[in-house]
Amino acid sequence: MSEIMISLKNISKTYTSMGDEVQALRSVSFDIFKGESVSVMGHSGSGKSTMLSIIGALNPPTSGIIEIDGIDLYKLSAEKRADFRREYLGFVFQQFQLIPYLTAIENVMLPLTTTKRSNKEKREMAAEVLKRVGLEKKMNRLPNQLSGGEQERVAIARAIVNEPPLILADEPTGSLDTKTGDEIMELFQELNEDGLTVLMVTHNPDNVRYLKRTIMMKDGILFQDQDGLVKPIVTKKV
Amino acid sequence: MNIFQIAFNNLRRRKVKMLFLMLGLVVGIATVVAFQSIIQGMNLDLGNRIDELGANAVILPRSEGVEAHYGGAMTSDLTFDVKKLTVDDIPKIYESSVAEYINIVSPKLVGAVKIGDQNSLLVGVETKSEFTQKPWFTLKEQVDIKPGERVSDLALINLPDDSIIVGASASKALGLQIGDSVNINDKQFRVFGVLNELGSEEDGLIYSNLSVVQSLLNRPTELSMIEISAYCNNCPIEEIAMGIEEVIPNGRVISMRQAALFREETIEQFSAFGYALSGMVLLIAALVVLTTMLSSVNERTREIGIFRAVGFRKFHVLSIIFLEVGMVSILGSTIGYFLGIVAARYAGPYLAQISGEIPFQFGWFLPAVLISTGLSILISLYPALKAARMDPAEALRFI
Repeated sequence: MSEIMISLKNISKTYTSMGDEVQALRSVSFDIFKGESVSVMGHSGSGKSTMLSIIGALNPPTSGIIEIDGIDLYKLSAEKRADFRREYLGFVFQQFQLIPYLTAIENVMLPLTTTKRSNKEKREMAAEVLKRVGLEKKMNRLPNQLSGGEQERVAIARAIVNEPPLILADEPTGSLDTKTGDEIMELFQELNEDGLTVLMVTHNPDNVRYLKRTIMMKDGILFQDQDGLVKPIVTKKV
Repeated sequence: MNIFQIAFNNLRRRKVKMLFLMLGLVVGIATVVAFQSIIQGMNLDLGNRIDELGANAVILPRSEGVEAHYGGAMTSDLTFDVKKLTVDDIPKIYESSVAEYINIVSPKLVGAVKIGDQNSLLVGVETKSEFTQKPWFTLKEQVDIKPGERVSDLALINLPDDSIIVGASASKALGLQIGDSVNINDKQFRVFGVLNELGSEEDGLIYSNLSVVQSLLNRPTELSMIEISAYCNNCPIEEIAMGIEEVIPNGRVISMRQAALFREETIEQFSAFGYALSGMVLLIAALVVLTTMLSSVNERTREIGIFRAVGFRKFHVLSIIFLEVGMVSILGSTIGYFLGIVAARYAGPYLAQISGEIPFQFGWFLPAVLISTGLSILISLYPALKAARMDPAEALRFI
């Protein structure tokens, strides 16, 4: 049995908005193993992006424990969590989120900025991953000079340049046409086959076939798809 | 890729915002540098004047006067019982208790004359004493000079009675060249020489021998003023003034040092105004920096969220903001500095009525840049902290 990469234990998240409490997550518990590729699906407002932000060490839960590779994430200080994100996580955000005034290769080098590597080494690493995603000839283009699919590839390259063990992707094909979306999903599949653990939030059912496991969410509660069956998992009565 | 490159690339590719930020700094620094240069030039000019004239005093005809007020505002000086100064007063100077201090006595009569259809001021002087006292008067052109010969030293010339020496501005205004014949009050004069430009009111004057002018203006023996100079800069000029007034009760003695001190007061007032205005302009420039950076931070919320998400610490985000402000400040203050010293150099003499040049203050470059940059970074502390403290999840709209 593979080791556990992500372990969530009774994670809840409550927001206060205009005096009202909104419970985005309700006692969510699950484990993701190293080398798995997992899709998280659910309607808008189901809590999937909130869960992703918590796993991404960006958003402390109201209660519960989350461990990544055995590290209790929110016992770390905010600055240590920043270091953790740099070393352990690769983020692929919604709508690419590239820095508009940096070229493709400069965007990819972003996670390496605060490392102690030389500029030459950083550039070589970035060039290598851009080649991996098929953009070696467009390294010096600005984001507005790239197509949607190319920008997504740059975003993926940025997520993997630091060789993190875990990639978190939030709707990576949301802005793309079907053909380009399939190409991107194939890329994620390849990365997973190379050993990266992939956790992807998506509302596109076509993407599911590229990933090994699917988790469904609804109203902050977690379901799991196993052997083609939708089987609710409720770890705590709500 | 390093923090500096991120900051530099942001400025390079968002030129409009950078230029707007820089403009405030350019104007601020240029104003401060120009003002301070002009004040420096004024003090330098005053120092030179004190050096030149410090040992000088002027005897003017004594008069009584009152200030006329209307509605609380002074409208004019009313002068009455004006005494006369005459050539008979000159020997009294040498008989006074302070005669031992007296070096040069230069009497003069000033009167308005018509040359062509223009009014001009004609000054009758004893050329030797006048131009010995003022060695900065030099001839630009002189009649009867053979090729290769130099113009004469004014203090050594014997100005013929039918000749005049014309100031630089008067020469241009009246269209007078050396050798020209000119009619003044029905008497013909020849232009003996044209003076080099002094950059003062004296450029508009015409000089001739004292006795000739007294005769021309029908004011025999009368004098408008007597300028005296002491042997030394440190001679007790106030004591000299008192000693002369004792023997010439119809005269009022003003030491040039005293007159220069009045100008020093004016310079001090201008300096105070200059400092206040400089402070205001710097404050406005600082506010421009603050509002521009706040706006920039707000616009870059997602970008800052990305930085934090990929592992930038708060310190790194702070550094990006400070580097951007620092680079813009260095460039803006450099441009502002050079703009300021050029403006002071070429506009300052007209604005401040300085006769000499305003020197370039190259030593101010580094302090101007350092102070401007330091101030800009300090002002940017709030927007920088705001950026660094941003909740990355909120910034990326996960929430």
